[in-house]
Amino acid sequence: MNLTAMIDVAFQLLAFFILTAKPVDVITNLDVFRPMAEKASQEQSPAKVIRVTVFPDGFTINDRAVDSKGLSALLGKLADLDKTQTVLIQCLNESPHGKLIELLDLCAKLKLTNLSVISSGGA
Amino acid sequence: MRQKREEEYLNGNLTAMIDVVFQLIIFFVCTTNLQDKAIDDRIKLAMAPNGKVETRKNPYEVKVYVAEKGGLSIARTPLSADMLTIILKKSRADARGNEVPVLIMADARAKHSAVKKAMDACTAAGIWKIKFTALKEKA
Repeated sequence: MNLTAMIDVAFQLLAFFILTAKPVDVITNLDVFRPMAEKASQEQSPAKVIRVTVFPDGFTINDRAVDSKGLSALLGKLADLDKTQTVLIQCLNESPHGKLIELLDLCAKLKLTNLSVISSGGA
Repeated sequence: MRQKREEEYLNGNLTAMIDVVFQLIIFFVCTTNLQDKAIDDRIKLAMAPNGKVETRKNPYEVKVYVAEKGGLSIARTPLSADMLTIILKKSRADARGNEVPVLIMADARAKHSAVKKAMDACTAAGIWKIKFTALKEKA
């Protein structure tokens, strides 16, 4: 029984599959900006800003309390008006990071790219 | 007679095959770089199925890890917020005007106050653009 040829082929296949297999990119990056301390307040008119606050158990959007579903619906409506408007995100200290990511993911889905995470007054 | 030759073949003549196997192992170990694909298993990233995937790598990027308990670290080295600021300032100086993207890899359960510490360190170092890392699909 001559195994040489079979082993050769097996190695060829192994080499081929290892070289062609591309690891799936599971990592994604969500870009945000930090507001420049001096400019933030006077730069934009309030109409062009969506204010979203992240609470440990929900969100508020322009001071209206919503859950994840409501946020998605309301933010979708606001995003339809203008994709370039700034989303001013405030996050409470106790909120888990996952909630913030949920919001950023939603913004990515709605193609809102002007995201600003402010940390002052989040307590 | 035939029986004997077969036995000899199976027992004795493996040298060449083992040589090739080692060559292959060395080749694949050297060519794969698992390091930058590796995800710190102590940090459970949040899911963000709609996020975009970055294909181009920036050599100046800094990955900051935020653990569930709130500890900051870079490459498994725990850091204080002040140390992080110093490191980021140094990275910016090294980049000589190029953008230094900061990737914050925070545990989904980490409190925002911990993430804020990392963000404030970026701000103190003069970095305004921050990226949060999440998982696109279940790994």
